[in-house]
Amino acid sequence: MLDILVSQIANGFVLGFIYVLIAVGLSITFGLLGVINFAHGAFFALGAYVGWQLFQLFGWPAVILAPPIVGLIGMAVEVTLIRRLYGKEPLLSLIVTFALALLIEAAIRYVWGADGKPFNPPPFLAGIVEIGPLLITKYRVAVLGATTATLLGLWAFLAWTPYGRILRAGSRDPEMVELLGINLPRVLTAVFGLGCALAAIAGVLAAPLWTVSPSMAANAVMPAFVVVAIGGLGSFRGAVVAGLAVGVVMSLTIQFKAEAAAASMYALMFAIMLLRPRGLFGERWERFE
Amino acid sequence: MRGLEKMTRRAVVAGAAGLAVAGSAGGAFAQDTGPVRIGLIYSKQGPGASIGEYLQRGSQLAVEQAGGKVLGRPIELTWLDEPNPQVSQQNMQRLIDENKVVAVVGGNYSSSALAMMSVAAREKIPLILPGAAASEITGKNCNRYTFRTQATVPVQMRGLMPYVAELGKKVYFLTPSYAFGQDILRSSRALLKENGLTEVGVDEVPVNTADYSSYILKIRQARPDVLIGGLVGGDFSNFLKQWNEMGMKDRIPYAAVAVTDTDFWDVGPQASTGIFIKPWYYNNPKNTEAEKKMIADFQKKYNQPPSDKTWSGWIAMRALLESIEAAKSTESKAIVTALENWKNTDGEQSFFFRDWDHQLVRPAVIVRVKKQITDKFDYMDFIKDTSATEEETKKAFGTKEEIGCSMPPL
Repeated sequence: MLDILVSQIANGFVLGFIYVLIAVGLSITFGLLGVINFAHGAFFALGAYVGWQLFQLFGWPAVILAPPIVGLIGMAVEVTLIRRLYGKEPLLSLIVTFALALLIEAAIRYVWGADGKPFNPPPFLAGIVEIGPLLITKYRVAVLGATTATLLGLWAFLAWTPYGRILRAGSRDPEMVELLGINLPRVLTAVFGLGCALAAIAGVLAAPLWTVSPSMAANAVMPAFVVVAIGGLGSFRGAVVAGLAVGVVMSLTIQFKAEAAAASMYALMFAIMLLRPRGLFGERWERFE
Repeated sequence: MRGLEKMTRRAVVAGAAGLAVAGSAGGAFAQDTGPVRIGLIYSKQGPGASIGEYLQRGSQLAVEQAGGKVLGRPIELTWLDEPNPQVSQQNMQRLIDENKVVAVVGGNYSSSALAMMSVAAREKIPLILPGAAASEITGKNCNRYTFRTQATVPVQMRGLMPYVAELGKKVYFLTPSYAFGQDILRSSRALLKENGLTEVGVDEVPVNTADYSSYILKIRQARPDVLIGGLVGGDFSNFLKQWNEMGMKDRIPYAAVAVTDTDFWDVGPQASTGIFIKPWYYNNPKNTEAEKKMIADFQKKYNQPPSDKTWSGWIAMRALLESIEAAKSTESKAIVTALENWKNTDGEQSFFFRDWDHQLVRPAVIVRVKKQITDKFDYMDFIKDTSATEEETKKAFGTKEEIGCSMPPL
């Protein structure tokens, strides 16, 4: 019994980390721009598709270009559409980004067709690793590594670089940042692009695990929203803790009561919301209250 | 002057009313000579989108093969979405109220089908379901206006179980947690004993689950000889992919019913495995001439072979068009009567809708994923039909008592 529990918890961690990666992009876009991006999942799917296309054309190494490409697409979307939503009614951004999600899904279907695209882990990452009672696939270990590296890099960028400081300052007091002579609109364009690129990284990593199809994001984005709600909107630390919690709770629920698996993360969210309405690490943000 | 004005106004109102009456009469008249409107309800988005596309292409092809006409009048198709039971039901209503369709072909998911059927019965509009395998559709929930082409779960399980028994004794169930999955559990449990099988585990998986790794760890721990599944569409593709990723593909065989070709095309040869029951397969030497013509027409139009869903959409539309021709009318009762008398005699075994439950009585095919897949689309080897003769087929579909449908009068 212990064997299987160890494997389930490890598996839950990996799954949780993928949710964290999706959730962090969502959280950054909200924290810094004040826009809840319902199209986040569409960028996730777009990442998987661009990755698949690059793989078809140039082989595995080229796949690494998918996130920057999706990031650029995100920036173009910010300049044409998202920019107009800043400081407006939150409901408006929900509707517009929801429409954007449908549009991107339809565009994917138009370009690549409604069928899924076969995409498997690269040959050197195929197979499983067994360490004592722990059983995990090589590819999932690689996902864990890539996700951790991405999250650490992102954290270091936000915490220690001057650019990161501008972002954090801009999210709290945009007027002051502009008074200091910083071109905030350009910064915000980059932030939205960054959020989309993060979604694309998750999409590329998930592509060999989950079927690459136009609606692939639907099942992955819901947990990410739950993770953001549990962790606290805009909180980086919160997203990580909540993501891992959701992953482990789901894995263990499947082990003991599979029928309740889908409900388990909502139950967790419900419990946390009752105790801490702003989520685990949610702070009071004057801009949104 | 005032009086005149009053008069005029009254005249205008009367004239308008007259026009309205004329208009509506004209509308009714148009339905007898103008286009014959037929509704389609197949998924356009979400995990079922590719299934929906193949179904639609099949129905469309049947219309094209009929020259785009029925009773000498042009056919007008309207395709609405099947995203979930509620919206599918509303779309059914919309097709009837707004598009004035004479019949609807559609419904791939048992849950949506059950919702749409109630509208068909209430509005007295014939509905032919090309998918949806749950027993109750032609069982206790049956109605006079609903027909179904796909074989029921018990029929498919009965075809599958002897092959499961060849693979081993201990079975584990991985089924979706809704009507269709519960039906798989119920009917296979009833067949365990006679096939010498025992159940070592069961997981009912919520629909739209993206990650199956935790389930797979659990199945691995339980060490069954065979895994019996019933996951559908995108969920099934995700499962296959992770089953392969976790090195289970060659360790525990997988057997399932009601799968479709796109589930496998979507994940590729590397992850495809198992033994399956499906309605039809394009590379089956026993396909009829009409089916071969359909395959050729499809290939010409889309540059690839059709999936079994294409066949389902095609045969459902063919049955409807042939029945409208036979009825010489688009009146719904006449169509229902004609469908009840419709019979297809293209192949070795003729098939028809049984008049007392509206189930299409026709064997399904048993297929196995090839060891070496070399073609982009040809993944399966045809093993055999679920029943060899017409007598056997009739028997496999069960008796009136077993089915439990009490059909109301027309």
